[in-house]
Amino acid sequence: MLQLEPLVLITIFVPWIGALIVWLVGDKHDKVQHLFSVVFSVTAAISSIAMLWVYKTGTVLSFSMGSTYGDFTFITDGLGLFLSIVATVIGTLAIIFSVDYMHGSAQLGRYYSFVLFFIGAMVGLVLTSNLLLMFIFWEITALCSYALISFYNDDPKAVAGGMKALIMTQVGGLGLLLAAALLFAYTGNFDINIFISNPTLLPINILAIMAFGMLIAAAAKSAQFPFHTWLPDAMEAPSPISALIHAATMVNAGVYLLARFYPAFKDVPGWTISVMVVGMLSALMAALMSLVANDLKRVLAYSTVSQLGYMVYAVGAGGILASQFHLLSHSVFKALLFLAAGAVIHSVGTRDMREMGGLGKELPFARTVFIIGSLALAGIPIFNGFWSKELILETGLEHGNPVWIYVVMLIVAGLTALYTTRCVWMVFYGEKKLERPIHPVGRNMKIALIPLAIGAFSTWILIEPFSKMMSSSLPVHLIQEVNLTELFNQVIFAPATWIALAIIALGIMIWFGRGALNGIKQILKPIAGMAEASFGFDKINKFIVGSTQDLGEGLRITQTGKLNWNVFYILVALVVVFAVLMIGA
Amino acid sequence: MNISTSMVVLIAVIGLFGIGLYCLLITRNLIRVLVGLQIMVKGAMLVLVFAGQSQGQPSLGQSMALTVIVADTIVAVVGLALAVQVKRSVGTLDIADISKLKR
Repeated sequence: MLQLEPLVLITIFVPWIGALIVWLVGDKHDKVQHLFSVVFSVTAAISSIAMLWVYKTGTVLSFSMGSTYGDFTFITDGLGLFLSIVATVIGTLAIIFSVDYMHGSAQLGRYYSFVLFFIGAMVGLVLTSNLLLMFIFWEITALCSYALISFYNDDPKAVAGGMKALIMTQVGGLGLLLAAALLFAYTGNFDINIFISNPTLLPINILAIMAFGMLIAAAAKSAQFPFHTWLPDAMEAPSPISALIHAATMVNAGVYLLARFYPAFKDVPGWTISVMVVGMLSALMAALMSLVANDLKRVLAYSTVSQLGYMVYAVGAGGILASQFHLLSHSVFKALLFLAAGAVIHSVGTRDMREMGGLGKELPFARTVFIIGSLALAGIPIFNGFWSKELILETGLEHGNPVWIYVVMLIVAGLTALYTTRCVWMVFYGEKKLERPIHPVGRNMKIALIPLAIGAFSTWILIEPFSKMMSSSLPVHLIQEVNLTELFNQVIFAPATWIALAIIALGIMIWFGRGALNGIKQILKPIAGMAEASFGFDKINKFIVGSTQDLGEGLRITQTGKLNWNVFYILVALVVVFAVLMIGA
Repeated sequence: MNISTSMVVLIAVIGLFGIGLYCLLITRNLIRVLVGLQIMVKGAMLVLVFAGQSQGQPSLGQSMALTVIVADTIVAVVGLALAVQVKRSVGTLDIADISKLKR
């Protein structure tokens, strides 16, 4: 009864049609806009979940586009299907949250249109198997992200943050476009599945260029080293956007890309180690920066970079399942954290954690869900973050992966626990500092937060169907099926888990014993200073931007604005062309 | 030395084009710029007719030239209208003084 083909189209195009309709409704009817956005996103979510019953391997839909673009094909294998469900479900929850969060805000049509447009594009990005089409969707998500970061477009910081995100992700887009062009040049089509099943169609040096192009694309999209600076600045976006785009979906596209192409590139010399090192550096540096940040959303943004580093590391280490499983956990608990943070920010009207404190009594609901998310982020047992993070750390020791990277990742786990504790403490405990009246958390916000809080407890139970879907629909990725007992065996009885737990506990203890550790604090001061200056990467960015602008200013003298000079240049060019033709002839 | 028709035409083309270009290079008055432009286009038209003739397709060259005449008229009209507006808003026709579009 359920047909797969229409479901794919519905999931992509219903949000897009919704985007158009919500925009056309006009900002005078904001209640209708709220309602329509929820309806359209829920439809997309239902249809993407419905695909779980009918998914199959291989091409589902194919639109012939002539020989230049290849066929626009869509597939519904485990990787893509699971990410499309994440995109639509978390998208729906973010929109429901927005009904309260954006209540009374101007230009709602623009906001909802871009969110819905983004959801459709994200689904398209993960369900297509045409690399060119993937690139197009990839860029649409980047544009939506830009438009939504700069949503408050009278705030210069928001505009600057949006521009930064757009430019940096475009650098990555170039890498993806390069890979797509090379694939087409050597095989004559853009089909990803054909390529992955026999990558030896391409010469090894071309394969290497593609592999590193994809790595750049993934690093830029997932805010990994050395592109990690855009994500914290993207926090000027409204909180639901941070939860949806900059925590749960778009930033995962990079990890998805690496996971999707892992079988093709794993034999390229130096690729897997590069991926692991990129993941490690991002995880470590972002965790340190998160430790010194004072803006609540920036702390979460750095922790997102850090957790994405774990996923990238897992892909490099060969643990596709572990990375995707952590992606699932992370999407749930980080969306929860961002939305809870949004509720707090909405209530108190500031993002600076130094001004917060003691909010737990005023906002018991927000405190409860935020702590649930934090425990999952820190990797405390029972919560989903624990299981998936342990799986990643297990993978780090298998397949002969370098142990020193594993050790760094263990330390990062401790740092994660430390900064999470710090963040929870600064916001909800300690002395109350705010004199302002505090809004209660809205009803729609609670509706969106409760499913995510339940998910943070329970998504790890899904390991069996999750791994089954992955292993049955991705033949070349060689993913092993894992059921719950095996998960218990793998995680609970491994000594690595106990080491990791000890380090996590140590991280938490450091926060509570911070008074006694003042001596160590003094020694670590220089590192804290470096982390506050984001390890010099913002300076590098500023230098690149500055030198580009200076070059533009310098080239300005060639534009005299005088007609006579322009005619003279035309004449010179004409002479040169004639001379070249003469010599050529 | 034998002077053929084609040589005469070519000399005329180069002459017209050169005069127009020279005019564009040295003049500062907007009206003169337009006049220079017109002279250059006349040279180009002559080339079209001549090319049609020498390739044995005179009607093709002539129809191309006619198209250019129409387009050229529009250029002249719009250009002169712009010149009038420039004179009204800036108060001068000196092109050195109307480089405001630079910024």
